[in-house]
Amino acid sequence: MTARATAVRPTAPSHARRNASIAAVAILVIWAMLTVGVDAGKLLRLPGQLVQIGSRMFPPDVEYIGTAWTGMLESLQMAWVGTLIGAVLSLPLGFFGAKNISSGFASNVIRQFLNAIRAFPEIVLAILLVTIVGLGPIAGALAIGIHSIGTLGKLTAEVIEGIDPGPVEAARAAGGRPIQIQRWGVLPQVLPDTVAFWLYRFEINIRAAAVLGIVGAGGIGAVLQNTVVYRRWDKAGMAIIIVVVITILIDFVSGAIRRRIIEGGSGASAQPELIEADGEAG
Amino acid sequence: MSAAPAARPAPPGRSAALPIGLLGFLAITIWAGISIDFNPIEIIEGIGGADRIVGALVQPNWSFLPNTAQPMLETFQMAVIATAIGCAVALPLAFVASRVTSPNRVSYILDRSVLNVIRAIPDILYALVFVSAVSIGPLAGILALILFNIGVVAKLLSETVDGVDTGPIEAARAGGAGRVQTVGASVLPQVMPNYVAYSLYTFELNIRASTVIGIVGAGGIGNVLNTQLKFFNYSNVSVVIIELFVFVFVIEFISIAVRRRLV
Repeated sequence: MTARATAVRPTAPSHARRNASIAAVAILVIWAMLTVGVDAGKLLRLPGQLVQIGSRMFPPDVEYIGTAWTGMLESLQMAWVGTLIGAVLSLPLGFFGAKNISSGFASNVIRQFLNAIRAFPEIVLAILLVTIVGLGPIAGALAIGIHSIGTLGKLTAEVIEGIDPGPVEAARAAGGRPIQIQRWGVLPQVLPDTVAFWLYRFEINIRAAAVLGIVGAGGIGAVLQNTVVYRRWDKAGMAIIIVVVITILIDFVSGAIRRRIIEGGSGASAQPELIEADGEAG
Repeated sequence: MSAAPAARPAPPGRSAALPIGLLGFLAITIWAGISIDFNPIEIIEGIGGADRIVGALVQPNWSFLPNTAQPMLETFQMAVIATAIGCAVALPLAFVASRVTSPNRVSYILDRSVLNVIRAIPDILYALVFVSAVSIGPLAGILALILFNIGVVAKLLSETVDGVDTGPIEAARAGGAGRVQTVGASVLPQVMPNYVAYSLYTFELNIRASTVIGIVGAGGIGNVLNTQLKFFNYSNVSVVIIELFVFVFVIEFISIAVRRRLV
């Protein structure tokens, strides 16, 4: 412990590997920039173009607020219904996908199924669904719903895998049937996190719903596309303001609710309330 | 302790928030469902017509694979450039957007508001506007992805910065470091592993977003996907989706390996 010999300065740790990876990334980026085939002239004209577009967007066409609001409302409805479809279907899948609840084989199968759903791009789903159920917000809601099953199911399964096994044992020791064990031993533990994920997914789905209109699946997307493609910048400006304001507003409210759910704002009573919430909604 | 028989504790009081919240939830659901004409029976009937599409999707046409090589490379290049620029720009923005490292309250609020607006605008809108400004091609896609990336990385990183250990910051300040030096010497090393992880995550998001970006003509594999979908060539669509899936899977694999080494 006590060194009498003169202290030797430790050798500095080698940075060779770090420097090599930084160099490799730099080379990759430079290669991409040189070969991607971007016209430098276009890039130079960009600032001027953006200033021009910006100056035409503002002041926006205030009379267009009605159309923009109707489109945004439809996007919100799509996102709501889609999130609900995802939430309802992902909950049982989450239980079957959790290794500690379900069997190893079944959970693997379910997890791979959820991965496959997640890998399927939402917009492609929407395009396919438009050909199946027709143009309109239902295609969008279904696309959002199917995609949400993948993400929510995975998150739910992960939350369930992290539970405290005590309540499950207690429920079993008290003679609970399998369903009762899940209901009283598992569900109360995972519900706050799961509901918070649903809300968070709703926030994400609002953004997705704003995109899907481009392929005819309803919502504000079609409004955005039409105004921008036909260069009705004053109308586009109004639509953008609506999208931004509503999205930020809902993020804010949803974020506040999520924090309250996770932290249990009113102390101990927060959790039992949520258990009841599921009992009645499910 | 007490000899008296244990009294049953009073049940917790019922709050009015729950029934009111549930009623609100039901009302919104019914309203939204009716507004978009959500009819489960009609949907189930419609799904009967899906067998042709599903049948084509499960039979990928592998001879289409060579046609996707060049657009896939373009998507890769776009994602590399957009990730590099987006993450570089997001780094200072993230520090200003965290209470721990922001120079003052005004810059904090201003930066947060700008980031909120950037994040609230859907990626497709960026793509539409940039296609309109610089015409179709990868440049519009790269620009759209950069803005999208700034929003994602700056938000995630600023939240990480909020949670850093403040000890090293105090040490740096006590040592007479300036603001930038403090961040560089005491905050950056703490958040570096997360920053790298977020960058890789963003790269993955960019590959996924390429499907959306390409639909409006902003370059990459999305263009191919869109064309094949329009001509109902679902066997070709299937090839592209499988390719994207493999691509994302490989990136996720690399990302996990890199993160394990860093943390």
